[in-house]
Amino acid sequence: MKVHVDAERCQGHTLCAMIAPDVFQLDEVDGHSTAIIDGDVPADLEAKVAEAVRSCPEQAISTSG
Amino acid sequence: MSTDADADRKKNAYHFARHDPEYRERFADIATEMIDKCPVAWSDTYGGHWVAAGHPEVFELARSAEYLSNDHDVNHERRGYQGITIPTPEGTGFQGGFLEMDPPEQRHYRQVLNPYLSPAAVNRWSPVVDELVRACLNEHIETGRIDFVDHLANVVPAVLTLAMLGVPLKNWDIYVEPVHASVYTPHDSPDMPRVQQAQMQMFHDMFGQLGEIRATPRPGMIDALAQATINGKTPPDMELLGVIALVIGGGFDTTTALTAHSLEWLSEHPAERERLSRDRDTLLDSATEEFLRFYTPAPGDGRTISADCEIAGQRFKEGERLWLSWAMSNRDPAIFPNPNEVDLARTGNRHHSFGLGIHRCIGSNVARMVFKRMVVAVLDRMPDFRCDPAGAVHYQTIGVIQGMRHLPATFTPGTRIGDGLDETIARMQVICDEQRLAEPVTVRKASAAIAPEHG
Repeated sequence: MKVHVDAERCQGHTLCAMIAPDVFQLDEVDGHSTAIIDGDVPADLEAKVAEAVRSCPEQAISTSG
Repeated sequence: MSTDADADRKKNAYHFARHDPEYRERFADIATEMIDKCPVAWSDTYGGHWVAAGHPEVFELARSAEYLSNDHDVNHERRGYQGITIPTPEGTGFQGGFLEMDPPEQRHYRQVLNPYLSPAAVNRWSPVVDELVRACLNEHIETGRIDFVDHLANVVPAVLTLAMLGVPLKNWDIYVEPVHASVYTPHDSPDMPRVQQAQMQMFHDMFGQLGEIRATPRPGMIDALAQATINGKTPPDMELLGVIALVIGGGFDTTTALTAHSLEWLSEHPAERERLSRDRDTLLDSATEEFLRFYTPAPGDGRTISADCEIAGQRFKEGERLWLSWAMSNRDPAIFPNPNEVDLARTGNRHHSFGLGIHRCIGSNVARMVFKRMVVAVLDRMPDFRCDPAGAVHYQTIGVIQGMRHLPATFTPGTRIGDGLDETIARMQVICDEQRLAEPVTVRKASAAIAPEHG
């Protein structure tokens, strides 16, 4: 599973980083999120990534593979 | 002009009177009914306007910035739009900061303030907040009685907001009462002249601060605004005062409202309170989001349709007004199972309490941090608190803020830890000044360093 944050949609609600701090990092200046894991999400973090996807108010996070 | 086509567009009608006390009393029923029958409805109230209540509908509408305007055109220079308040308050010639602007100006203001309000910027203030909370509780810990609104939830957000702006902390009492009272005092109340007088005093102080900071810069959001270039121009002072008032209005009463309602709920659910205290490491984040969802301190925002369009299955015409109900959309059963229950461990909590899209609450990180620090300190120092239902005073109407005026509580008395509120505020002022805490995160990255006064 790969994870991607759509920078156009993200408005910096920060829920993803609260739920999965090992996967998402927030920009220091505006709090917008990016995925820090480039390749496959480790299996033990997949459930948290799925919860971040469900919780994003802007629906800015997607997974593939 | 009413036509058949117009009547067809407005066939989903609902008499939506959110400024009536009945709306507060019947909120869950009204939300359920509107979400079920007319998730986007035409209401004849307040001059006629659209109301979006369903979660998918609010989601789609709020993110359609190309068809929605927040503009409050007080000088009639553009299209005369009336901003985010429905109905427009009588006699207002005042623009509510960048929340009543459209891009690009709105975006430029947010870029100015973001480095003061990002998660990294806000976390630097956490030790200061802990000191203020400790001191607030100290004032009452030995008596076994406290008013969670007057003595805690009204105080800490106000002092912190002023610190971040660069206003002297001791001025907090010039600001807190008018901000709080102007929200809950009905316009026809005999108390209104006094509230307006206090508001004038607050704006006078704010204007003085802006002038002082311009003459002798000191760090904080006011300094950033005083130096800002917005869309190639230096903004007029009235516009800057609107922005400062927005930061103050957004930072004070909303967090107060959230904290009061949450403490009231925890008092009514002692087993859940114990669970939250015990499992705070895993539960505090989700509980905070759930209280935000359930109590939605800022229940909605108005918009003006800026071009004819069809969104969420509804046709709109340019110039029509629209109310985006964050509060009702937060009760949509399609998104939130058992929406009228508080579930501290709720997952998938895509609530709308901070709004959505380009106008998302810029202070959300402050609100969350301050709320959590206040709740945790109460759980630690007053673990058996009981709110007094007979003394609790909720706002009579929740059209603007779903808040509380008073929330008295009793608890087993405890011991003071360190100094009281006035001494702590004075000490925090020195720390703010010496460590230049109110600098943006781009200038100062380190957290506040506070030597433990109480060892």
